[in-house]
Order: sequence, then C-alpha cells, then structure tokens
Amino acid sequence: MKRDPVVIIVVAMVVSLMLVFGFNMTRKTRNNSVPGPQTKGDTAPDFTLQSLEGKSTRLSDFRGQAVLLNFWATWCAPCKIEMPWFVELQKQYGPQGLQIVGVAMDDASTKDIADFAKEMGVNYPVLLGKESVGDAYGGVQFLPENFYIDRNGKLTARAFGLKSRSEIEDDIRAIIASKVTPK
Amino acid sequence: MLSTLIKTILGISLLSVLLPAQEPPGKKIPSVTLSPPPLASVTRGKPNTVELQFHVSSGFHVNSNKPSAEYLIPTVLKLDAPTDIVLGRITYPEGEQMSFAFAPDEKLSVYSGEFDLAVMVRPLASVLPGNYEFHGQLKYQACDNAACYPPKQLPVRFVVKVVKAPPAPKKNPAQSPHIHN
Repeated sequence: MKRDPVVIIVVAMVVSLMLVFGFNMTRKTRNNSVPGPQTKGDTAPDFTLQSLEGKSTRLSDFRGQAVLLNFWATWCAPCKIEMPWFVELQKQYGPQGLQIVGVAMDDASTKDIADFAKEMGVNYPVLLGKESVGDAYGGVQFLPENFYIDRNGKLTARAFGLKSRSEIEDDIRAIIASKVTPK
Repeated sequence: MLSTLIKTILGISLLSVLLPAQEPPGKKIPSVTLSPPPLASVTRGKPNTVELQFHVSSGFHVNSNKPSAEYLIPTVLKLDAPTDIVLGRITYPEGEQMSFAFAPDEKLSVYSGEFDLAVMVRPLASVLPGNYEFHGQLKYQACDNAACYPPKQLPVRFVVKVVKAPPAPKKNPAQSPHIHN
C-alpha cells in the first residue's frame, strides 16, 4: 500500500506538536512547584527582623505602602548591580508610596553589611536576614530574589535573579497602582 | 515509509525540546566536584607537587582565588596534612577575566569548566613509606548569568604514596695509585 507523503508529513507534525506540548506542560508544572508564596494574591509572610541600626522592623509595619522586598548579600555581584537602581527608584517612587526593603542574607558582620550599604548609597531600610524568613519565602536558594507586595500586603509578583531595570520598574508601577482595600 | 515518519517525529521533537531559551536561575543547582585524583607518588624528604582537578558544573562559574572585588568570596582550598608531611604552598590558576550579562562593563576573575590546583607536599625524611590521606575543603561561591548561590564547601580527600628517595648514584671510589715494587 502506498502512503501519500503529504499525509505522512501532516501526521509527523501533529505528533511532534503533541510531544512538544506535553514536554513543555510538564516543565511548566515543575517550574511552578517552587515552594513558598505563590505570585498572585497570597499574603506576604510577615516577619520581624533587626535593621542595621538595631531597630526591630516588621514587614506588616509597611502595610498601606507598596513594598519591594529584596533579598541580597554582599557577595552577590548581580545584587550589586540592582542596588543603584533601587536607590534611584526609591527616590523616584517613594513619594508615591514605594518602600524598598532590603534583607541581607549574609554571614558577614553587621558592620560589613552596613559599610557595603553605605558605599552603595542605600536610602531604604536594610534588615538582617534569617534562614526562617528565607524559608517563608521559598528558601531563597540564590540571590537576588525580589518580591513585589501591594498596599494590602498581597504578593503580586516575584522575580528570581537579576532582571532589567525596566522590568523592575514595571513591577513597581503595578504595586504602586494598587489601592488599599478597606477591611 | 514508516521509519521516515518516526525519524521526522523524533527529529522535530528533539529540536523543539533542545531549542528553548536558557533555564531561569534556580532550576539547576551549581556544583563543583573533584575529579578522582590518581594516586600520587611523593618522595620523602623532598618537595612534591600534587595536582587536583576540579570541575564547575556547566552554566556556572566560581570566583577565582583572587576575585576582582573585595566583596566577592574567593575560591580557597584548606587542607589538613597527615603528621610528618609538611603542607606547602597551594598554587591557584589565574582566573579567566569574564564579563556577564549582569555586569557587561565589569570583568570578573572566575573559574569555569575545569581548573587545577597544585598542592606542594614534603614528607619528612623520617616518614615510613606508605599511603597517607589528606582531608580538606574547597570553599567556593558560584553564580550563573543572573543569580548567585550561597557559599559552599566541597569536602576534598586525596591519598599520596610516600616512597623512599632513590639511592644516590654511586661514585667510583678514588683509586689509589698502584705501587709496583
């Protein structure tokens, strides 16, 4: 029996598409299985950490503001790239309710972290991270990791690794645009 | 005909699976491994070099022993030597000067792929010949193109075989002049 080559090509393409679709679906499912708060709508896990100045600071103290929670460390080169952007973005969007909060996931001394932050001209609070806080945010297995929290304390986005300044700014604009929902 | 069909399906599928862009950070965990070192013979009473080859997993780099900035964590090997074997200098290779997407204008001194460390060991002349084990840790901090991973320590273990120095070549004794009476 002779088979039409056109039919064979069509069948090949359909089967290939099905295989690729199945593979990508499996991969997506795996990617979404990162533990910790999911992107949209989850309440950002609250925590209390010491600031570089020794002040106890709760994440929920910033409720009503749009918060960019930035996990970083002094040894993280990509984090150092973001910091000057954050300084500028804090200046630019602070008056509209943005509060950037840095969490240093570092073994360095408080003095070393403070010196580093000073050298970078950091103009937002930097808190001394703890493993338990990292765990609440999915383990923070690498840095930087940024979580965008709207004015109601809900997560709107999370970003793993260094993103472009424009992507960061887009996420900031989105949380600034959020409205406080009365309880 | 059927085999052509199967080949086409497999070909297209394989290409589609391999083509997608780079994985986002965190999907692969960086690792540094020590290639099993061959048993090095070292001569007692003399300095000897033991080569250790490390491998950085694909897609990652670690800072060299002399990173380009003070805040970066260098790759450092710390070893404990057995009694009566003196541990000498550890020689690190120069890092590759590389720039990355996160800092295109900055060159970082890094190791990627394979890198070799040379460890100088000198067994005392009194050490009994035999196998001696070294233990230690390689401290490193890895990054990929967009993210950095916390510092890690790789346990390092290798064995050296201490051998006697080969006997010095015999010199012919000075011959006394023959005296003929």
